[in-house]
Amino acid sequence: MTSTIALSIFRYVLIAALVAFAGFPIYWMASTALSANSELYSTGQVPWPQLQKLPELISAMAGVPIGRWLFNTFLIACGTTVLSLLLGSLAGYALSRFRFRGRGLVGFLLFMTQVVPEALILVPLYAMFITLGLLNNLMGLVLANVGFSLPVAAFILKSAMDSIPYEIEESAIIDNCPRFGILSMIVLPLIMPSVAAAAVIAFFAGWNEFLFASTFLMDRSLWPTSVGLASFIGQYETPLSAVMGAALLFSVPAIVFFLLIQRQIVAGLTAGAVKG
Amino acid sequence: MPELTFKNLSKSFGSHVVIDAFNATIEDGEFLVLLGPSGCGKSTLLRMIAGLSEITSGELLFDGDRANDWHPRQRGVAFVFQSYALYPHMTVRANIAFPLVMDAFKKWYHLPIVNAVARRRLMKSPDIAARTENIARQLELDSLLDRRPASLSGGQRQRVALARALVRNPSLYLLDEPLSNLDAKLRTQMRSEISALHHKVGKTFVYVTHDQVEAMTMATRIIVMNKGEVQQIDTPEGIYNNPANTFVARFVGAPPMNLVPVTRKGRRLATSNAQAWNHDGELPDGERLIFGVRPEKLQFLARGQGRMPAQVAVVERLGAETVIGCRLVSDEHGGTTNLVENDLVFVRISGNPRTKINEQCSLDYRAEDVVWFDAHTQTRIPVRAAAPALV
Amino acid sequence: MTPGSSKWLSGRGKAIAPYVFILPPLAYLAVFMFWPLARQMWLSLTDTRLTNPNGGSFVGLENYQWLFDDPEFYTTLNVTVLYAAVTVVLGVALGTISALAINRPFPGRPLARAIMLFGWAVPNVAASLIWLWMYNERSGVFNDMLASLGLDRVSWLTSTHMAFSSIVAVTVWQVAPFVMLVVLAALQSVPDEVREAARVDGADALSVFRAVTLPHILPSLQLVSLLVAVWSIRRFDIIYLLTGGGPIGSTSTLVVKIRQTAFESHELGVASAYGAIGLILALLVAFVHFVTDRRRQKWMAQ
Repeated sequence: MTSTIALSIFRYVLIAALVAFAGFPIYWMASTALSANSELYSTGQVPWPQLQKLPELISAMAGVPIGRWLFNTFLIACGTTVLSLLLGSLAGYALSRFRFRGRGLVGFLLFMTQVVPEALILVPLYAMFITLGLLNNLMGLVLANVGFSLPVAAFILKSAMDSIPYEIEESAIIDNCPRFGILSMIVLPLIMPSVAAAAVIAFFAGWNEFLFASTFLMDRSLWPTSVGLASFIGQYETPLSAVMGAALLFSVPAIVFFLLIQRQIVAGLTAGAVKG
Repeated sequence: MPELTFKNLSKSFGSHVVIDAFNATIEDGEFLVLLGPSGCGKSTLLRMIAGLSEITSGELLFDGDRANDWHPRQRGVAFVFQSYALYPHMTVRANIAFPLVMDAFKKWYHLPIVNAVARRRLMKSPDIAARTENIARQLELDSLLDRRPASLSGGQRQRVALARALVRNPSLYLLDEPLSNLDAKLRTQMRSEISALHHKVGKTFVYVTHDQVEAMTMATRIIVMNKGEVQQIDTPEGIYNNPANTFVARFVGAPPMNLVPVTRKGRRLATSNAQAWNHDGELPDGERLIFGVRPEKLQFLARGQGRMPAQVAVVERLGAETVIGCRLVSDEHGGTTNLVENDLVFVRISGNPRTKINEQCSLDYRAEDVVWFDAHTQTRIPVRAAAPALV
Repeated sequence: MTPGSSKWLSGRGKAIAPYVFILPPLAYLAVFMFWPLARQMWLSLTDTRLTNPNGGSFVGLENYQWLFDDPEFYTTLNVTVLYAAVTVVLGVALGTISALAINRPFPGRPLARAIMLFGWAVPNVAASLIWLWMYNERSGVFNDMLASLGLDRVSWLTSTHMAFSSIVAVTVWQVAPFVMLVVLAALQSVPDEVREAARVDGADALSVFRAVTLPHILPSLQLVSLLVAVWSIRRFDIIYLLTGGGPIGSTSTLVVKIRQTAFESHELGVASAYGAIGLILALLVAFVHFVTDRRRQKWMAQ
C-alpha cells in the first residue's frame, strides 16, 4: 500500500518537474516582456509577471515593426500552405491510387527531401534565385519552403486517401467525373481533417522558417518575424521587454494551433518518415 | 440497344487467370443474371462491361462495335455497387443529381472553389432539379432528399443508388450484388422492386449475385459461372430442369439436387454399398453414372413400397412442407451409402407428417424426373424421355 | 478492388493519368530541390567563391582533400555526431518518461499535457531569444538562481565546456514533446488486459514495463529516434542563433559550418563539400534505421 502511495507521489513530483521544465521558458518570456529594462539588467528580474506593466509594454513595442513582420510571416506561411497542399494533394493522390512504374522511386525521392538539410541547398538556391530574379522576393521564399513541406503534405494526404473506399471513385468515374474532379470534389472533402493537419504543418513550416528568409531577403520591409526577431540579438537599443513581447506574439499562434491538432500532426510526421 | 457480345474474353491479374475465353451474347432488354460462388469472376466480368477493369484479351462488343477501350461514360452504363458507393458528404439530392451535374460541367469547372459554386448553381437549374425530384418520387425518396447517406437505412441507401443510376437514363444497367447487404425481408421486397423497375424501364439489366433465389426469380436468362468458366447459359427453367453439369445441379435449388453415383448393369442400378434397384424408362449408355433427382420429385414411402430402402436421419419442418434427409440402406448388408458430397438424400414433401428419426422408410421416383450425369466428366447426359404408354 | 488495375480508359489516354498527377509535384521538386542538390554536389568539386557564384573551375576532389586534412573538419564531424547521439538519447528518454508519467489520467492532465508541448510548438527564433536571455551570463535567470544559492555564475554559451551542453538542453526541450506525443500514441495501443494480467501475476511496475509495454512501443521509439537524429543533423536556427557555432567550434555542426564557410569565408566549394558530408551522414542514419527496422520485423515474426 505504501509503495503505491509513494509511487503516486513520485509520479506527481515528476509531472510537476516536467511541466516546469517545459513551461518555464514561455513563462519567463512573458515575465520578461512585462519588466522594465532597469529590472532586467540591474536590480534583478521580478520572478512573477507584472501585469500592470502591460501598457508600457505596448508602447515599447510601438518601436518594433512587429505588424509588418507578422504580415510578411503570414504571407509566407499562406503561400507555403497553398502551394504545398496543391502539389501535395496531386502527389498524394497519384501515390495512393495509381500503380505506375517508378512509384517506389517517387516515394523514395519524397522521403529524401525530409533528410536533406536546408543549409545544403541554400547556396545553389541562392545562385539560382539571382539568375531568376527571385532574390529579395517573398515568392521566392515560398518556392524554397514548399520543397520541404510538399512531401509531408503528400504523405499525410496519401495515408488518408488510402482509407477511402475506391468504389466511391469508381462510381464517380461512371458518373462522368474526370480524375481531377474526383480529387477536388470527392476525395479531398472526405479527408478534411488530414488536409487541415497538412495545412497546419505547412503553415508553420513557413511561419517558423529562418535560414532561407535571412539569406534571401535583403529589404527590411520584407522581413518576416523570424528574421526581425533574430536581428535583435546582440543589439541593445530596443528594450528587451519589447523584444520578448514580439517573440510572444510570434509564438502564440503556433502554440495554439499545435495544441489544437497535435494528434494529426504527429500522425502526419511519422507517416512521412515511413517509406511508401 | 445495346446488344452485348463477349468474344473470347479473358481477364488475368499477372499470371493468375480469373476469366478464361468467355463467350456469350446478351440481348437487348434482357434481365441477365451472372450467378456463381464467390471468386468465380462474375463481378470482374461486370466491371469489364462497365469499363472499370481492363480487358486482358478478347473483345467486348456493344452492338457490334468494339468497346474494349471505351471510357465508361461512352458506354452509357449505370453501375450499382454492392456497397452502394454513395458520396457520404453529399445530400441524397446531390447524390442523385451528380451524374446530371457532371454532364453539364465544363472542363475548368473542376477547379477547387469553382466546382462548389458551379455545383450549387447547376443543382438549382430547373431541368436538373425537376429530373432529380421526379426520380426521387418514383423511388419514394422525396422526403429524404436533404439527408445524408449516413442517416439512411440500408434499404433507403439502396434506393438512392438505384435513383442515381436511373436518373441518367442509361441504356445498360449493371448491378453488382446490390441486395447482399440487406436483411432477408428487405431483400425479398427489393427483389420485386428491381424486377418492376426492369419492366418499367425496358432496358438491359446485367445482375451479379451468388444467391440462386434472386437469380431464379428475377432473371430472363442466367449465366452460371464457376472459377472463371461458364457452366451454363439458359433460362431459369432450363437451369433448374436441365442442369448442364453437377455443379449447376447442386448450385441451384434448395435443398440441392440429390446426386447418387451408381453403376449400371443392364437395367439394374447399384450404389457403392450394394443397394440396387431396377430402373424403368430410358437409360444412358455407360457404366459409371450419377443419378440425379430433385428433392421434391422423390416419393417418401413406407419400407417395402419403394425401390430404394432408406432410414430417416434428419427432419426439417418448415411449416407448409417438410424436408426429410435419409440415408440409403442396403438390403443385404445394412450399411449406408456414401453419396456425392453428402451422406443424405433429401426428400421434400408437403404437409407435416409424423416422421421420426431412424424410422425405416423407402424412396421412389419417376423415370422422367431423373437427370443423368457422367460420373467421370460430371456433365449431363441427355436421355430421350420414355415414350408415353400408348395403351 | 485494386485501384491500380483500373486505368483511364479512353484509348490513347490510357495510363497517362498517373503521370499527369505526379508530374507537377515532381517537376517542382526537380527544380527547387534536386537540381540545387545536384548543383551542390557539383559545386563541391569546384573552387567557386560566393562573390562569383556562377564562375569557378573544376578542381576534382581537392575540396574534400582539404577537408580531410583540416582538423576543424573532424571537430565539426565529432560535434555533429555527438550532438545527434546525445539529443536522441536524452530527447527520447525524456519524452518517453513524460509519456509514461502522464499516460494515466490525473486532475489537470489536459493542462499539463498542453504545457508540455510548448517546447515543440514555439518557433525556433522565439525559443532562441528566450533561452539566450535565460543563459545570459550577467542577467540571465539561471545565473541569478545560481548566485542566490551562493554558487559561481556559469558562462553557459561562451565557455567551451558548457556551450555544447547548453545547446543540447535547448534541443531536448524542443524535441521531447514530439517524442512524448508519439510514445503516448503507441502506449494507447498496449492492450490493458495484458498489462493487468502481468500485474496480477505479481510482476512489479518495472518488469511490467520491460516485458509488456516496451515491446509495444519499440517500433515507435525506433521511428522517433530516426526522426530526432535526422533533425539534429539538419538543425540550424537554434545553434546559429545561440552560439554561432562557437566558442572555438565547440558547437559547430556540419550545417552551421556550411553557412560559415559559404557566407563568411566565401568558399562555396568547401561549403558544398561540407554539405555533401552532411547529406551522407543523414542518409547513413536513415539506412541504419531501415536495416534495424527490417531486422526487428523479422525477429518479431518468429
